[in-house]
Amino acid sequence: MVAVGTIVWLSSELMFFAGLFAVYFQLRSVRTDLWAQQTEKLNVTFAAINATVLVISSVWCQLGVWKAEKGQKARTGSLLDIKNWGMREWYVVTYLFGSFFIAGQVFEYAEMVHDGVTLSSDAYGSVFYMATGFHGLHVTGGLIAFLLIIARTFTTRRYTHANATGAVVTSYYWHFVDVVWIALFATIYILK
Amino acid sequence: MRVETKLFFYLFLFFGPVTVIYGYWSDWKEPIGVTALILTSGLFILVAFYLWQTGKRLPVRPEDNMSGEIAEAEGNYGYFVASSWTPLWLAGAGAVMFLGLAVGWWLFIIGAFLGVVAVVLWVFESFSGDYSI
Repeated sequence: MVAVGTIVWLSSELMFFAGLFAVYFQLRSVRTDLWAQQTEKLNVTFAAINATVLVISSVWCQLGVWKAEKGQKARTGSLLDIKNWGMREWYVVTYLFGSFFIAGQVFEYAEMVHDGVTLSSDAYGSVFYMATGFHGLHVTGGLIAFLLIIARTFTTRRYTHANATGAVVTSYYWHFVDVVWIALFATIYILK
Repeated sequence: MRVETKLFFYLFLFFGPVTVIYGYWSDWKEPIGVTALILTSGLFILVAFYLWQTGKRLPVRPEDNMSGEIAEAEGNYGYFVASSWTPLWLAGAGAVMFLGLAVGWWLFIIGAFLGVVAVVLWVFESFSGDYSI
């Protein structure tokens, strides 16, 4: 039930981002001059590294999901014994990678503002911050969800099926946000 | 889940070609419609794919069986909280936060604190204490 609801909600989220993509492409088609001038200010290398970190975080998340499905909530060996990590350890690593991404994005925004691209400077600034900002808010929401899911492993005595479902649907959301970023990255940084 | 899968897949079969026709007639120069239609197709194929995969994983449900009986549909359908006030508190906190955007940041911060309390209460409602599931 929870999983089905999450998928239906995520497909409506897809339409939300569809609106942002539509805005981007429309403005780009009518202001090619502005795009040629402003996209030069993007730090593509930095953004590519940041995007890679987010994509890798999805891998750690999936490893955590497989542990959750097996009902292993926490590590059985020592911290260095990665093979016997549970869902909790993998989700902590995912959280760290996700927060690295957000920190990188804040750094990138600071650079862009320094170059004179702000939310209210021009059409490019508006759509850049709207698209990446809404994605960033989604990632932040995912990070909060990870914290709650990790905390849940401490409050229940047994790791039940309901617990695992919570972990699994959080991973659905995380993968979705990740895929949206791949599309946004391709649009904003590669296609320009 | 074959009926549900088909329902969404047929919509994809409609919107997929419509995207191509729309793009062809507008010479691929009108980006909004093309983007919206591609992602609308994505919406339906996402749900169809999920239902198809879930249907493969689950045994045939009584409602998929032409000679199924109502009694076969009994059993555990998942966990539902019997009664909970926390969604109301969360909605109230959300309302205060949005009001804060119009009134001032001080109200937004108050709303955010209420929101944190409501979220934590809701998330842990069934996952802590003696009766945790």
